Amino acid sequence: MAKEYMHIILADDDEDDRLFFTDAFGELKISTKVNTYNDGVQLMDYLNNDDAILPDVLFLDLNMPRKSGKECLAELRDNERFNGVAIAIYSTSSSEEDIEDTFVQGANIYIKKPNDFNVLKKVLSDVVTINWQYHTSGLNKDNFLLRM
Amino acid sequence: MKINSLFSSSIFLKVIFVVSVFVIFFISAITFKHLTSIKKTSFYVERSYHVSLELERLISYMKDAETGQRGFLLTKDSSYLKPYYESRIKIVNSFNRVSQLTKDNSEQRKNIYKLKFLINKRKNYLSKNIYLILNNISKKEEFINNLKIGEITMNSIRNQIDTMDQIEDRLFKERTKEYNSTMSVTPIIIYITLLITLLLIALAFIKINQDLKRLKSSNDKLTIADESSKMAEIVGNFGSWQLDLGTNTYSFSDNEYRLLGCEPNSFEASLENFLKYVHPEDVDYVVENVRKMLVNNNLPAFSYRIIKENGNLQYFTAIARYLTDKSGNKIMIGVTNDITDDYISKQLVEERNRELEANNKELSAFNYVASHDLQEPLRKIQTFISRIAEKESENFSDSGKDYINRIQNATNRMRLLIDDLLQFSRTNRNEKVFENVDLNTLLENSKQELSQSIEDKKATITNEELPISNVIPFQIQQLFTNLINNSLKYSIADILPIINIKYEKVTAENENDIPIKNKIKFHKITFKDNGIGFDQEYAEKIFELFSRLHNKNEYSGTGIGLAICKKIIENHQGYIFAKGEPNKGSIFTIYLPVI
Repeated sequence: MAKEYMHIILADDDEDDRLFFTDAFGELKISTKVNTYNDGVQLMDYLNNDDAILPDVLFLDLNMPRKSGKECLAELRDNERFNGVAIAIYSTSSSEEDIEDTFVQGANIYIKKPNDFNVLKKVLSDVVTINWQYHTSGLNKDNFLLRM
Repeated sequence: MKINSLFSSSIFLKVIFVVSVFVIFFISAITFKHLTSIKKTSFYVERSYHVSLELERLISYMKDAETGQRGFLLTKDSSYLKPYYESRIKIVNSFNRVSQLTKDNSEQRKNIYKLKFLINKRKNYLSKNIYLILNNISKKEEFINNLKIGEITMNSIRNQIDTMDQIEDRLFKERTKEYNSTMSVTPIIIYITLLITLLLIALAFIKINQDLKRLKSSNDKLTIADESSKMAEIVGNFGSWQLDLGTNTYSFSDNEYRLLGCEPNSFEASLENFLKYVHPEDVDYVVENVRKMLVNNNLPAFSYRIIKENGNLQYFTAIARYLTDKSGNKIMIGVTNDITDDYISKQLVEERNRELEANNKELSAFNYVASHDLQEPLRKIQTFISRIAEKESENFSDSGKDYINRIQNATNRMRLLIDDLLQFSRTNRNEKVFENVDLNTLLENSKQELSQSIEDKKATITNEELPISNVIPFQIQQLFTNLINNSLKYSIADILPIINIKYEKVTAENENDIPIKNKIKFHKITFKDNGIGFDQEYAEKIFELFSRLHNKNEYSGTGIGLAICKKIIENHQGYIFAKGEPNKGSIFTIYLPVI
């Protein structure tokens, strides 16, 4: 990769979660650029801009006002422009239904929001250092849910 | 069956009657014929007798004539000539009578001619001598010659009459014999035919008697059946009716009237009168159904409302079938059923069901939302605490650190509870999609899920080959996970956990634990561990929600895991049982029906 940093975007309506997220990346020794959006509409407005810089990994909360994570996922996977974006679902829920739906819709990984800051750091570190090409080519439902 | 035998018996009786009539005709004909022949025979017998008698008379008259002639010849007294002449007349008369009597016998007829010739000859010679004397002609030679010839002729006459007598005698004997034979055969024939007739009549009598008995007994049965059907109508709360399609007349059973709240036969059975009781909104519907019934000769069951005499609203169903009886009458036979009680209780059950369903939905939605939404703030509390514990721990006093530690423990426990509750509500909520899956795969997934825990505890898990079964896959996986997790959680501190999973296919009736004894097949899977076990008296209690046998400080259970197991097994119409022995281990047995 020619870039010296990873571009990461999070869409989450919860302020605390956005705080944990940015804090965690701040403490990680990986050079990243993190942008956050407050809901699906904001996110899509940004991404649909022609001169938008597409992220390497996009973290999507499912339960958001105005436009939910699943709606964003569907729109993104409908548009060839976003083929190169790895999408990680980042949700409180770990229901079979949500996991199944987002897997079918083409998300790359499913993360259940951890309840420990150290675990959060480890998970995010793992996710951004995955060799996505390798991960995506061997994609199956078993390694879809990131276990901790 | 009975009716058929009666029917054939009536044919039998008709046959007997016809045969008897023919036999009597036959007897009459025979009797008539025999009487005629008897009459004829007796006539012939009588005639033979008369012929013989007359022949004797004839010869005696001949003798009288001869005696008279002789008297005259001796005395020359003409007074002797008087009997002579009288005899001559008598001879002629007598001869005529014989001739008359034998006129239809050809044999006698020839003899009669001969006799007539001889008699005339005799008479001639008698009169010749008398003539000689009366005229005083003395021709002695001729006189003697006349006497001689007369004598010879007289003998011939005697012979001739004897011959005729013999013939009559023969005829008489023959006829008597014939008469006797006729007289002896006739009564036998009459007697036999009479006997046969008597026999037939006796047979007919027995048959009629039998039929009468059968008729009586079937009549009795009919009375009983009629009575019991009336009782059945009262007990079963239904009435019956008939419609004669030929005359278009109705008849209602007693209970049909009672269903309407009326006394039996209190009004004339007709559609119009019945419709007066039908709920005004349903009248058109009932009329339409009756119209269709008349067209199709069939009335499928349909329901309508009735307002009884006392004003109560009742629910009825009616059904009718077309029937042709033995006399060829076309009738519709119908049954009216008062289903009010059923209808009301069904309504009630349906209403309760709806309420229950709504309650259940509400409850599980509440459960789901509550546990799901509770997670969010809890997670944040935990995350913040983890940050504080890490970043600020050096600023805390010892007791402050202890408090933080306790807060962490409490929030961890709350998280466990919420997770389990969520799991439990999901077991209810999710759509139950059965799939044919390999249970070995599900078990492997469970082991995978628990791999960290298994590794930490250095547990050994062995299992026999599991079957492929039609189950709700994620639920069964949850079941396996919970059972293994349970064994790991309640292991004895210093002993490495060993979990043995066994499988066999069984039949319900051979398993003591299964309450229903039948031939249904089950997959029986047992999970045996060497953990702390439990007292057998708690074997059922441990499956109850929030029931725990241990202090939460010793073991981390929430009391939900096994309740989930039970729920999952119930979703599969299976059974789950637990056996325990303190400090030895426990055995969990699950039965999944083979589908």
